[in-house]
Amino acid sequence: MAGSSNDEKDLKVIIFQLKDEEYAIEVDFIQSIERMQPVTRIPGVEAYINGVMNLRGVITPVIDLRKRFGIESKEFDEATRILVLNKEGNELGFIVDGANDVMDIPASKIEPTPEVVGGVAEEYLRGVVKLENRLFTLLHLDKILQKQEDKAGA
Amino acid sequence: MASVLIVDDASFMRMMIKDILEKNDFDIAGEAANGQEAVELYNELQPDLVTMDITMPEKDGIEALKEIKSSSPGANIIMCSAMGQQAMVIDAIQAGAKDFIVKPFQADRVMDAINKVLG
Amino acid sequence: MSQSEYLEVFIDESQEHLQAINDNLLQLEKEPGDLSIVGEIFRSAHTLKGMGATMGFEDLAHLTHNMENVLDLIRNDQLEVTSHVMDIVFEAVDDLEEIIVDISNGGDGKQDVDAVVKHLETLQGLEPAASGEEAATAEAVQPANTINENYDEYEWTVLTQSQEQGYQAYQIQISLDEKTMLKAARVYMVFEVLEQIGDVIKSTPPADELEEEKFDFTFVVTLLTTTEADEIKQRILKVSEISSVYIKTVNIDPYKENTTKEKNQVEEKANSSPAKKQEKRKKKESSPGKKGTELNKTIRVNIDRLDVLMNLFEELVIDRGRLEQISSELNNTELNETVERMSRISGDLQEIILNMRMMPVDQVFNRFPRMVRSLSKELGKKVNLEIIGAETELDRTIIDEIGDPLVHLIRNSIDHGIEHPDVRKSSGKSEEGTVELRAYHSGNHVFIEIEDDGAGINKEKVINKALENGVVTEEDLEKMTDQQMYGLLFASGFSTAEEVTDVSGRGVGLDVVRSTFESLGGVVTVDSELGKGSLFSIQLPLTLSIIDVMLVEVAEEKYAVPLTAIIETAIVNKKEVYSAHNQKVIDFRGKVVPLVFLHEIFQVPAKDKDETDNDFYSLVIINKGEKVAGLVVDSLIGQHDIVLKSLGNYLSDVFAISGATILGDGQVALIVDTNALIK
Repeated sequence: MAGSSNDEKDLKVIIFQLKDEEYAIEVDFIQSIERMQPVTRIPGVEAYINGVMNLRGVITPVIDLRKRFGIESKEFDEATRILVLNKEGNELGFIVDGANDVMDIPASKIEPTPEVVGGVAEEYLRGVVKLENRLFTLLHLDKILQKQEDKAGA
Repeated sequence: MASVLIVDDASFMRMMIKDILEKNDFDIAGEAANGQEAVELYNELQPDLVTMDITMPEKDGIEALKEIKSSSPGANIIMCSAMGQQAMVIDAIQAGAKDFIVKPFQADRVMDAINKVLG
Repeated sequence: MSQSEYLEVFIDESQEHLQAINDNLLQLEKEPGDLSIVGEIFRSAHTLKGMGATMGFEDLAHLTHNMENVLDLIRNDQLEVTSHVMDIVFEAVDDLEEIIVDISNGGDGKQDVDAVVKHLETLQGLEPAASGEEAATAEAVQPANTINENYDEYEWTVLTQSQEQGYQAYQIQISLDEKTMLKAARVYMVFEVLEQIGDVIKSTPPADELEEEKFDFTFVVTLLTTTEADEIKQRILKVSEISSVYIKTVNIDPYKENTTKEKNQVEEKANSSPAKKQEKRKKKESSPGKKGTELNKTIRVNIDRLDVLMNLFEELVIDRGRLEQISSELNNTELNETVERMSRISGDLQEIILNMRMMPVDQVFNRFPRMVRSLSKELGKKVNLEIIGAETELDRTIIDEIGDPLVHLIRNSIDHGIEHPDVRKSSGKSEEGTVELRAYHSGNHVFIEIEDDGAGINKEKVINKALENGVVTEEDLEKMTDQQMYGLLFASGFSTAEEVTDVSGRGVGLDVVRSTFESLGGVVTVDSELGKGSLFSIQLPLTLSIIDVMLVEVAEEKYAVPLTAIIETAIVNKKEVYSAHNQKVIDFRGKVVPLVFLHEIFQVPAKDKDETDNDFYSLVIINKGEKVAGLVVDSLIGQHDIVLKSLGNYLSDVFAISGATILGDGQVALIVDTNALIK
């Protein structure tokens, strides 16, 4: 199975944007990158769960990553993308402001996380990488996928 | 390319033999899951060789062997036996089986027996 | 073919054989005299042994080997089928099952089978330490390449005489491959070859020892023949598993003078080759089984492939919906006809695919006889389990789920239903209680019923307990029918077990059983007569993956309500709605029906346009057993065949939503779990 590689060598990552920051997720987890598409609301679930979409016949839950990180919402636009992840056979979509870069990050360049990056709590982050004047924050996928307790409207 | 009819009630066993034979470029003429089918398929397919399990429902391998032998005396039949079936193997040899192989099958054993019978 | 594919078939087939062994053992226990059953069991054990050994699962092979030995004794009337013997064999089967489970879970199939093997060996009258048939004692062997055969006077006479008649004498040392397993049979084949070309006048070790495999791997024969040495060697090497053949000409000149005895004695001796004596020994084993395997007309298909097929077809159904929608918009005759035909064909295809996924409930039922046997022993009760309609088919997703809840219900019937034999006797019943497990088709449903002729349910006790635990109020009870009162057994936190036995009352109540069945779209009901027995009835849908629904609209959202839960749809005037106990209700066909407002339950964002001008409610009347409710929606869209899809693990417990489906326009609609909406 691909995916769980914790190689201490190079990490191939996808770079995406949320507000003013750039984030990175290992390519191994990414199944595809989709344009924004209709999402069906699910009643009574956490507010950051946008709903489910029809991804080529598979019902795929979609998470609004801004809401997940407590960043203020913004209208979806042409640049909005859904990163489709595949974690242990379950597909899951992350709505992000934009995604357009694939990079190799040397593991040695990953530095410990400063306490808060762009408002995202430390626990969701695996580290930061400085590369050619750009700063990327590497996400901690498992933590993000753990549900929060605050149910919407309940 | 010699053709082989595989007879065994366990499809697992048939698969094992089939795999061994296919890797050695044999042609699988057919598969039978009991003695009755074996006799019918033999008459229909006239394979060069039969691997015949001894213990099977409906009709056991020895009876099937005898029936095949009585209508086709030249039939090349190799018995597939398990430990503890010595007496039955000997019965089968007397009834005209050309050789026998013992479970668990080992590819080289199976091929050795088959090559000797056909060679 | 990969190792894993072998393994899959191996596991499948092993399970089948274990099941056959279980069934036949139970049968044998009923008819201990029927040795044809023993034959069947023997055959299954034997096949398992061969398969296990092939895959290198030694404990499996070892255990089945010992089982086989015991069965052989039974078959030959050397061992009686007592309850003790059965217990040990069952124990062995349990171990085998554990091994197979371990293997199917990716384990190595290693299991400590010593205890059971010891029991089996004791049954065989063996000292537990002695190992099986392979314990061949090694005779002294000649060192390779040096044949040193000694002949007595009589043998020399024979040798001399035959040489005068033109025969040559050879000493032939034959070595079998060290891995040869049936040595005697190999030796027999060698002798057959030799006897075609001459006469064997002596063998070392002697024939009877060869026959008993009392030799290592090498033996020496003396052959009188006119065939050349090389030719003899070639012929012997034609036999498999012969590793070497050495031939030496016997020089008999020194004894040429001694020629008195006749030659026919030689022949006599030669004839006593090994195994001829064995001919008469036990003949073929199993009798023609009534069931017989039906391998000839079926092929084995991996269930995953069927799932893939189903998934692909589901996509087709979605596109079919889309195509139907497009063609109705375009209104082109040719397109319409084509789409119509396609729809019809895909309808047929749907039926076939759904049928392929159907499996007989026997898959689940077949483990119950064993369970009932051990359970009744454990509880000291006599129980006869009758299974009716085991061939009834259900979708495999349902089959996979109903096993555990059924186990619970059957345990419940035996534990709480069937009385102890003395109690039964004193109340004029036969000592042996009967539990009947029935499955049958009816319309779009399959019913599974468990009926016992035990003590029945004490209504008063149920009521008291229910009041005690706050499950119901006195008020509620007044309106309840008997069945509804029995149904309280399935309410959360209910248990009537007075003594907590090892069997039930472990905290898992019947409410779990109910919710499992309900999650499958099933309904559980109970009926009972005190002193006569109880009947638990479960109604299940035939299939789960493609279902008929009513599509409804709530504001701008679409929801699907399974047709199986719908009694009818209705439109009522808002004036007909009353309030009772803070609950909006309507009087519907003389019954008070509570209303459930979907836009409230699902917090549906209101539509932009004003709706107050509407004087009517659109209702979908749903039921769950006896209870009824009216779902209030904005509009009814219509009836559709839809493909049920799971929301996945991430969204596992969404209230009142059982899944989702993809509509013709590609949108996702949620499927309403009506059971959650009726209290």
